[in-house]
Amino acid sequence: MMPSTDALLTAENLTKHYKDVVALNDVSFGISDGITGILGENGAGKSTAIKIFLGLLQPTSGSAIVLGQNASESVSVRERLGYMPEHDCLPSQVSAAEFLTHMAEVSGLPPSQARTRAADTLRHAGLFEERYRAMGGYSTGMKQRVKLAQALVHDPTFVFLDEPTAGLDPAGREDMLELIRKTHREFGISILFSSHLMADVERTCDRIIVLQAGRVVQSGEVKHFTKETETVFIEVDTNRERLVAALEARGVVVTADGRGLYIEGPDESVYDHVRDALVDAEAPLRRMAPRRRALTELFQRDGDDFESGVVT
Amino acid sequence: MTQANTVEGTVFDIGYQKYTGPREGRNRARLSVFKDGVRTSLGFGRGARAKVLPWFFIGVLVAIALVMALVAGAAKGLGSPEDVAQLNLPSHSDYYGIASIIFFVFAAVGAPELLCPDRRDGVINLYLVRPLTGSDYIAARWCAFFMVMLAVAWLPQIILAIGLTMGDPEPAGYFRDNWLDIPRFLAAGVPLAAYTTTLALVTAAFTTRRAYASVFLVGLFVITTPFTTGLAMEIGGTAGQWISMFNLSNIPVHVNDLIFGDVSEITSVAPAAELSAGILVGWYLLWTLVPAGILWIRYRRLTP
Repeated sequence: MMPSTDALLTAENLTKHYKDVVALNDVSFGISDGITGILGENGAGKSTAIKIFLGLLQPTSGSAIVLGQNASESVSVRERLGYMPEHDCLPSQVSAAEFLTHMAEVSGLPPSQARTRAADTLRHAGLFEERYRAMGGYSTGMKQRVKLAQALVHDPTFVFLDEPTAGLDPAGREDMLELIRKTHREFGISILFSSHLMADVERTCDRIIVLQAGRVVQSGEVKHFTKETETVFIEVDTNRERLVAALEARGVVVTADGRGLYIEGPDESVYDHVRDALVDAEAPLRRMAPRRRALTELFQRDGDDFESGVVT
Repeated sequence: MTQANTVEGTVFDIGYQKYTGPREGRNRARLSVFKDGVRTSLGFGRGARAKVLPWFFIGVLVAIALVMALVAGAAKGLGSPEDVAQLNLPSHSDYYGIASIIFFVFAAVGAPELLCPDRRDGVINLYLVRPLTGSDYIAARWCAFFMVMLAVAWLPQIILAIGLTMGDPEPAGYFRDNWLDIPRFLAAGVPLAAYTTTLALVTAAFTTRRAYASVFLVGLFVITTPFTTGLAMEIGGTAGQWISMFNLSNIPVHVNDLIFGDVSEITSVAPAAELSAGILVGWYLLWTLVPAGILWIRYRRLTP
């Protein structure tokens, strides 16, 4: 994903060294409107990239432009940015309403508008009833919601979410992902969503950037990756081996998985091959359905990790 | 109520509203951190436990001033003006010296509250991604605690001034003779507040644990006083004077003495009081500006 002229964020030849450790190595990409996932294992450089965009770190070389400005040189651009950190960042003795009002003021909003925005944002985050309770008594899910709310309270143009589902149970995780989708869909705020959980990124993001050891190893539209790996799933009652042989005789790539068979990369002709092979093998068809591979499978194909399918 | 008078309402969910109002930028951010610092120092917006310690110490400082005023008033009521003058009752020039240890304990307890939780809880990360630099943050926090310390220094002096004036058989005459004490104690409060604020905040800047910072500061002020006083007395001479300079509680009180033009009860026994005004002021500035510089550098580095 090369920098484009309509990009909200642009990294050009971005490099960051911590003494002998290279956190980012000549990274270039652009991020436009929508939800973009930045994927990578721990130490891949996700948080370093976010901190450079927020102006908290100075790059060793290259440039990081946010909303047309360099965040480390222009403090004012941060009025339009939001940040939800991965780790705890909430004072325990203060209520969510007071904390968000304060954070809105620190973002530059006048006190009366800050109070109104804090109440509105907590309502959208599903915490309106709990807003006057001290945050020390909140559950992990509620704390994650407050963390997201503080990132949105000043109505930023772009928001950085660092591992927003960390520590959440499945239900809490689903709620958080829905809230993130809502943040873009209904609030019109663009998002950079950092995670090491591919399932979260796949379900939430429009685009992904995969970092490994400080380099971009994959980037593009999520639907492009999943479309590339579209498969057909077939399940038969008997004669499974004969069906596999019949399919392979027609040049179709087949992968057995449990009781079913996966057929790779279908186009219209694949369905004809399947029909003919089923007839030849005398295999009674129980189920046939198109299926997209998960991103996890794409990047971990054949036991490899993110190295698979590296784009240059 | 008749049908005609019934008002029916409908609640609409108008959804998310974009913010189109003013954005006041860095100055609003600084002001907000300052206001939050004042509120935190005094326990406002927090639970009852957060209010106990600051208001206890404020109460003690006011009580000292009240006792001083009552004793002076009682003495004036019992004896002639000559007898009262011979008693050499403590007044405005002595107050900061007498109460200095309480100021330091107040600062030791209050200042870490402004910095330590922000770093321990990670709130500092949320400040620094907003239109605020590390320098802005620490300057706003310093100003907030300085204002609180100044108010805490002035309040008992104002109460003392009212008490001494009202307790005198001739209030108007007392005021006419002693009104200069008011600008003096207002001026003397400034170096005291600046010194205690800076030393307390610089200590708090190096730990995320409030208790560590508080214990270290209390220990520093409490231990240096008897240690340096005893050693200075024992050694005597110029060396004794310089050892006496390391009595951290007395450093701003020497400046107080210079402003009042009188040696207070507390510093009257300190050999350092015999040193020149230039040395005493220079020593005070060294102990205030160097920690202030360290504090600034420590927070400036948080943002590039």
